[in-house]
Amino acid sequence: MGCSGMKMIRAVIRPETVDKVADALEAGGFVALTRMDVFGRGKQKGIKVGNVVYDNLPKSMLMIVVDDGNLEPAVKIIEESARTGNIGDGKIFVTPVDEAYTIRTGTRGL
Amino acid sequence: MKEVLSILQMNKMDATKDALEVIGIPAITAYKVTGRGKQKGLQIPSPSQLDQSDKKRMKYLPKRMISLMVEDEFVPAVVAVITKVNRTGNFGDGRIFVCPVDEAVRIRTGARGNEAIS
Repeated sequence: MGCSGMKMIRAVIRPETVDKVADALEAGGFVALTRMDVFGRGKQKGIKVGNVVYDNLPKSMLMIVVDDGNLEPAVKIIEESARTGNIGDGKIFVTPVDEAYTIRTGTRGL
Repeated sequence: MKEVLSILQMNKMDATKDALEVIGIPAITAYKVTGRGKQKGLQIPSPSQLDQSDKKRMKYLPKRMISLMVEDEFVPAVVAVITKVNRTGNFGDGRIFVCPVDEAVRIRTGARGNEAIS
């Protein structure tokens, strides 16, 4: 806590894999997460079914903040549990976080 | 420039917005999110009678997330205001994350950096 940095992991994944990923993260010790329903598209410009083109596909975004040391295991868990091998499995982005505060106690750190 | 991301209780949104307006930061982006913290969501009836079945557990709780882009020197004030308004002392009050932001652009004028967010 405190002295080492923190990272925010944002994973855009298939909505149907959210529970699997959340359970896997919980088993790995990462209980806290925030989930957002989002729409977007990837390199494939959405999906084409017959003549119908779906520009934006529904996805879920999971947001997790971890200490630097836990970054690799957390990313690995998400990667492995969200993978189906098909196009559209999603992406994981990692960004730095300078500070974190718990509102209930007002303390700094995760 | 920093992004102050905070996850709050839904019923504190109005109070938070009012308080932020008072210190001169009216611009926010709000998201409806769900999530959980260290307590693994909500256990019913109480954590001491914890039944492991998912039926007695609310896995994700509805929350609001607000994102504010502020200049570096305002960060402590914003964090203090959000903490003060939202603290009830109970679990679920929320969290604040401060993240670095490289660039901002005001689309209407093309202004960049701090000028774009002030």
